[in-house]
Amino acid sequence: MTIERDQHGFDAPAPLGHPGRLGLDPGRSIGPAVGERLPDFRLPDARGREIDFHADRGASKAVVVFYRSAVW
Amino acid sequence: MIRDYGILNDQLEPDDAFLYGLPYPGVFVCDEDGVVVAKFFHDTYKKRDSPETLIDAALGRIELAEDAPRAVCEDPEVHITAAVHGGQGTIRQGIIRRLVVRFELAPGLHLYGRPVPEGMIPTTVSVRGPEGLVFGEAQYPATEPLRLPGLEVELPVWSESFDVVIPFYPDARVASETRPLDRDSLELEVEVRYQACDDEACLLPKTEKLRLTASLEVVDVPNLALHVGHGQREGSYDAMPHMRRMILRSLRRSPAGFLRFVAKNVMLEMAAWRRRRAQRRDA
Repeated sequence: MTIERDQHGFDAPAPLGHPGRLGLDPGRSIGPAVGERLPDFRLPDARGREIDFHADRGASKAVVVFYRSAVW
Repeated sequence: MIRDYGILNDQLEPDDAFLYGLPYPGVFVCDEDGVVVAKFFHDTYKKRDSPETLIDAALGRIELAEDAPRAVCEDPEVHITAAVHGGQGTIRQGIIRRLVVRFELAPGLHLYGRPVPEGMIPTTVSVRGPEGLVFGEAQYPATEPLRLPGLEVELPVWSESFDVVIPFYPDARVASETRPLDRDSLELEVEVRYQACDDEACLLPKTEKLRLTASLEVVDVPNLALHVGHGQREGSYDAMPHMRRMILRSLRRSPAGFLRFVAKNVMLEMAAWRRRRAQRRDA
């Protein structure tokens, strides 16, 4: 397996140019902007129960995380 | 849902086997009404924000943890705390922690922001660390306007308590995920320069140096052949059955597409091999 360092200074076990290593162009904005309402969604939670995002968070603040793998 | 959010990774092609369908990774923080108050997206998926950063964005203030590594300057007029905020002060490749420098001022005192009046010293915070630790710009909070009797201009100041934040992360020079760590901690040297004044007089300008040590941690990697043996923390599970399922699924969906993906990978590996050979020749 090839290990190469990318332009951001990170190593990964895949050659440069591999689709799995591609990033987001700097300065490009995606998704809802600050000030916009997050789109609603229905998805199963870890127990398989359907969650309705806006209805089920009640009047709480929320954090919506899209991650590649959880390494915090 | 990923399409509804408009964050589908549009650089991936449908043929890119089990990668297609990934979103650009990132985070939205919303308020009680579901309105976005902060969003965090980066130019590479390797940069990730600490959970504490997300909580702070939701709360609108920085909650320093008791166990965050910190250095303190015990000045009765201007008390300064420098702390590594996030992940109990640990540092990991690509994970963005924040250096928080908290100023707590005695009643009646203020520090100057920019633009400073002639002859005054603006408050500055800078930090140095080993090569491979990448620091962002210092983020200063908004100043409050101060009007002094007899002066026409408003002075930009901070009073009581405020935080200056410098985000940082280590790159592969200091914490690669493909080889074991060669040290277990990093030193940060924080330099703070300021001049405290009250409404009538100013104290002498001061420069304080604070030293912090944060521990360097390996990252968690999936228990897959391409990640194991690199000296990182490997998952205590067998990820191969899931990998096999994903490969079979993309094979069933588009056998020709899957073959194109394999061919693409072979070409990339060959290009990498040629780069390595050229590097060896140059050396």
